Order: sequence, then structure tokens, then C-alpha cells
Amino acid sequence: MSEQPPLQEPLERLPLAKQPVLRQVTKILIPFVIVFGLYVITHGDYGPGGGFQGGVILAAAYILFALVYGVARARRVIPRKATDVLAAVGVLFYGAVGLVGLFGGGTFLDYDFLGTDPASAQALGMFLVELGVGLTVASVMVTVFTEMVEA
Amino acid sequence: MIHVYGAALLALLVSMFLFLGRAALGPTVYDRLLATNAFGTKTVIFVALLGFFAGRPEFLDMALVYALINFVTTVAVLKLVQEARLDR
Repeated sequence: MSEQPPLQEPLERLPLAKQPVLRQVTKILIPFVIVFGLYVITHGDYGPGGGFQGGVILAAAYILFALVYGVARARRVIPRKATDVLAAVGVLFYGAVGLVGLFGGGTFLDYDFLGTDPASAQALGMFLVELGVGLTVASVMVTVFTEMVEA
Repeated sequence: MIHVYGAALLALLVSMFLFLGRAALGPTVYDRLLATNAFGTKTVIFVALLGFFAGRPEFLDMALVYALINFVTTVAVLKLVQEARLDR
């Protein structure tokens, strides 16, 4: 039997992942970046931030992983198909939230139909819309990065 | 207290311009990289201080984002300089 090439290069052969400091710092940093991205998405209505900014931060976590561990490994974590689907799902989610108001008898993106109390309905609507935006932006950013990087 | 913040902001601006000069002049690419990275770190402190100076401490969120993005950028540029490609 001939020697089959490994599906993925070992970590020691990757230019950045063979450096222990960089590898460990990345491992420690990525969860915090993801939590911070989710914080920016969900607190977009109280402080600076929002769906777009949070989505970019989420994508930055993935890009950091792809830079250090290589795109092949990163694509095993989140495959191309997943980002393609998630980008569409985010937009559809946004549209679906808007349609709730339309079918409830109001206008498109009328949040008041999402709950009984107008204030909490507005907050919920904003949160759901931001969630859709964040999902789409994160997926598209990941797609842009990987498409540009893969020769 | 606002005078202290103002003085610190001015001092930071001066040092940021020094780093910009090093980034423009730097004989090797690593000088430029180090200058840009240090400039990014100064920006983090600048944004944080600006938040307290303007009485809006939520600027700290932005400083945090800048710190994270600065790290990712430095890693990416270093990899590009060393490998001339980013995918492995």
C-alpha cells in the first residue's frame, strides 16, 4: 500500500500554529471574542453596537482561527455549505419577523404585533431583527474571507 | 479630573504621532509592523480615555473591539509578510 497524503497537514507544518504562544493565545481569545460578539448583537439597542458590528466580531473570531490553524481546518469547523445556508437564513429570519406585523394587520416590520405590551414587543422585535442581521453578516464575512484567501 | 483626562489624551496624541512617524520611516517591514501595532494599542487607550473625558464610559466597548481587531490584524499582516499567502 502506498503512503496516502494526510487529509490535513499536521500542526507542526503550519507556519503559525507551530508557534505555541500564538496557538495558545488564539485558543484562549476565541471564546471571549465570540461572547463579546453576542454581547454587541444583543445590546445593540442599549449601547454602541448592533447586528452588523456583532456579526463582524463573530466573523473575526473565525478569521483568527483560520489564520492560525489554516483554512482547511477552519472549514471543517464551519463548512462552506453552513455559511451559505446561514447567510440566507439570517435574511429570511429578518423578513419573517417583518411579515409577522404584515399578517397581523399592520405594516411590514411593525413590532407591536410580537407581544401584548408595546414596549416589550418593540424590544423583542429589535432583538430578533438584530439576530438575523448578525447571522447574515457573520456568514458573509466568513465567506468573503475564505473566498479571498483560498487560491 | 477632566483636566487629567485632557492632559493624558494630549500626551497620547503626541506619542501616537511619533509611532506614525516610525511607521512611515521604518527601514524594515518589522519596524513598521511594530509601530502600527503599538499605534493600535495607543488607540485602544485613547478611545477608553475619550469615553471618560466625554462622560460616556460605554466607549470601553469600542476600545475592547479595537483591541481584539488589532490582534487579528497584526497576526494577518505578519502571516502575509512571512508566507505571502494566508490559507495555510
